[in-house]
Amino acid sequence: MTAALDVSGLVAGYDRTVVVRDLSLSVEAGKTAVVIGPNGHGKTTMLLAVSGLIKPMSGTITLGDERIDGSSAESIAGKGVVHIMQGDGLFADMTVEENLLMGAFVSSSWRGRRETLRRVYADLPVVESKRDQKARTLSGGERRLVGLGRGMMRPARVMLIDEPSLGLAPVAIEAVYAAIAKLRAESGATVVLVEENFTHIGGVADVVHILETGSIVRSGSFNELSNDRTVVETYLGSITDVTT
Amino acid sequence: MTGTFSGLSTTRWLMIGSAIVLVALFPLVYTDPYYMTIIVTAEVVLILNISWNFVLGMAGVWNFGQLAIYALGAYGAGWLMLHQTWMPAMIAILCGGLFSAAISVLLAFPTLRLFGIYTSLLTFSFAQVVQYVALNDPRGLTGGSYGYPTVPGLFPNMSQTSYLRAYYWVFAAVIVASCLVVAWLRQSHLGIALRSIRDSPGYTAARGVNPRMTRVIAFGLSGFLAGVAGGFYLSFEQSFTTSQMGLTPMSIDVTMLVIGGLGTVMGPVIGTAIVTVIQTILIDYPGWQLTILGATLLVIVIFVPGGVVGLISRTSKRVGAWVEEDSDAVEAAET
Amino acid sequence: MTDIVAIIVNGLVYGSIYGLVAIGMTLIYGTLRILDMSQGSMVMIGGYVGWWALATHGVNPLLALVLAFIVTFVVGTLTELVSVQPLIGRRGEVDFEMVTFITTFAVGILLTNVALQHFGPFQKNVPPIVSGNLDVYHGVSISYHELTMAGVSVLLMGALGLFLARTRWGFAVRAVAQDLDAARSLGVPVSRLYPATMGLASALAGVGGVFLGALYFASPTAGDLPLLQALIVVVLGGLGSLTGTLYAAYLVGLMQAFCEVEIGTTWTLPILYTAILIILVIRPYGLKGSPSEARL
Repeated sequence: MTAALDVSGLVAGYDRTVVVRDLSLSVEAGKTAVVIGPNGHGKTTMLLAVSGLIKPMSGTITLGDERIDGSSAESIAGKGVVHIMQGDGLFADMTVEENLLMGAFVSSSWRGRRETLRRVYADLPVVESKRDQKARTLSGGERRLVGLGRGMMRPARVMLIDEPSLGLAPVAIEAVYAAIAKLRAESGATVVLVEENFTHIGGVADVVHILETGSIVRSGSFNELSNDRTVVETYLGSITDVTT
Repeated sequence: MTGTFSGLSTTRWLMIGSAIVLVALFPLVYTDPYYMTIIVTAEVVLILNISWNFVLGMAGVWNFGQLAIYALGAYGAGWLMLHQTWMPAMIAILCGGLFSAAISVLLAFPTLRLFGIYTSLLTFSFAQVVQYVALNDPRGLTGGSYGYPTVPGLFPNMSQTSYLRAYYWVFAAVIVASCLVVAWLRQSHLGIALRSIRDSPGYTAARGVNPRMTRVIAFGLSGFLAGVAGGFYLSFEQSFTTSQMGLTPMSIDVTMLVIGGLGTVMGPVIGTAIVTVIQTILIDYPGWQLTILGATLLVIVIFVPGGVVGLISRTSKRVGAWVEEDSDAVEAAET
Repeated sequence: MTDIVAIIVNGLVYGSIYGLVAIGMTLIYGTLRILDMSQGSMVMIGGYVGWWALATHGVNPLLALVLAFIVTFVVGTLTELVSVQPLIGRRGEVDFEMVTFITTFAVGILLTNVALQHFGPFQKNVPPIVSGNLDVYHGVSISYHELTMAGVSVLLMGALGLFLARTRWGFAVRAVAQDLDAARSLGVPVSRLYPATMGLASALAGVGGVFLGALYFASPTAGDLPLLQALIVVVLGGLGSLTGTLYAAYLVGLMQAFCEVEIGTTWTLPILYTAILIILVIRPYGLKGSPSEARL
């Protein structure tokens, strides 16, 4: 069965610094792969390479049976790759509604944008309540939800989510993950979710990969890895912090 | 011969020495006044370009007010020549240089806090103000739109051949001296500091380099040289109009710097030479001159950003690598 | 009292035309992050189109404006493709902003000299769009041409505002200005957006050029002054801020009118430039720009 997303031997970085070294990852259609790893080891770089915002130095990236490495970010977006960026990437001076509408920019989605907007508002009432506010006035958790909402404004074959819990208070994180769960349920998209630690991912992960110094060093199900002492101690400090 | 002296090999020094000797002997064999005048004028422009290259290319500061500073040097020197007739012309020119240096230093301070584009706007506006004030000449200091009144110049009583030679040598000496100074500065603490600040200001500040002093010094030195160039221009051409500070000369000078290689030591020399040749060939077609220069500027900036000097150093590196590969292959074959 | 009316009337007229020319520069800075030094040339080209259409071919004035729009749109797009686009992929190597300052400047020189070659150095008379004057107040009159100029400028700026606030591509332009990578990840084709934006900005200046041609003649250097004036407005308003540019345009217009009426035309520009100098030292981000853009 062709994987929805296949990354093979990816090497990527910035200028002359290589961050991702020989990274290989395969995600089955409709499944959620969570990539865990310490900061600076290449999680964001990997996602940027997949969505085309940076050009891979070598390796292949395949979407279905089509190669997308080397394509422009805009054409990759047109093929159904949705990238929900770290730090949200919201348009600070645009209102929440305008941000959401931009999510439907791709020409095939633009015509039906009002309809899609209604659905997203129904799913995320918090976002609707802030619809006319400028993005820069929102709290961290609200922005995260708007970012997710914007990602939901067009049909996604593959959704890339970069550290959704970054910088948020626990209550906000719960809301964010609830939204992600809803997203998975409704769209059936293939998701690659990147996080720095284990907390919260148990509910969404179909498979977990551990990324260190630029490549995937271990893979397994959430239960497998969370029962492995070495993994847990590296990423959590102690067994008692693991939540399912 | 591969001994080193002040960072350059003896061969290099011999080459430089012979070049200097050739340059010095040139006017003894060539005396056509028309072309000599063009060459001497080009020398003054070159001095200005060397000063501008220092602050624009090496220090990386978007200073578009250099021509106004050049003009102020001319006006300063001229005023002294006309009103302090006891002062030898050369001293007046040096004083003009000091005046320019002072103004240039003042200009340095606000630029320290601003990003590139804003610095260019700041210095550009400064240049515009100077140009307008000089043009309207409220106190009869600059000659307004008629240009500066005639001054005696450096060599008032010589025949044409003689004074052409005299100016040529004086300017050539200044050019050689400034090139050497710039080359020395480049690998001195100041030069390294300037380039660091240009390339990564945060890091440099973290390393304890004081950007304010460094930039002030850079502005001061380049202002001094520009002012002296202004005084030279006034003495030689016997006039100075406000159009000397305008957009056209500025574009031409930028083209010279970029073609030669912005930020390099020999860049201004090569660039000024090439553009002067083009201008001389096309002297009857001013429209074509500027069109060709504009097009060349565009092409060079996009395709050969290092200018001629950059191109040469890249080619010589490639040749060097290729030669090494060859000699490695020969060695490998011999073992 | 006559003075005040004269200042207000003239100030509003100047402000409108400054707005039209400067708003293009702001648009370009906002999206491409460059100072487009060829914008003055677009005004110059507009002037020549106006002369060609109105003086030599007696074309309908509205058509002349449309023609100027189209011609400068094309030239602006080509300028971007030639002098900016090749440098975009190489942002790491070269100081992008400085180099594009020089390249767009070089294009400006080229255009000026092509015009010089083709049309010769002498000024050409451009007939006004509408002739006749309107008396506003004792001795203060305004020509219908200036009135139309102000009206069309306001109309075009309003249209631009609507375009940006309501249309898909308008959203895209704003998105690119605010977060380039986010816009790209949403599918905005920036390599097509950039030339089109520069084309649009140039076209606005071109239309302005037709009007200005009647006031200041068409000549190869007709773009120099508008460029300098646009720079003043754009800095005062805050680079990248459209509303800032709008306020600044009218402020500068009023300042110029004030200087002309009270002090005399010779000193207007140096005073304006000195004002810029002071602003750049005290508050470089202008009226409505953001401090992080200007200060190190």
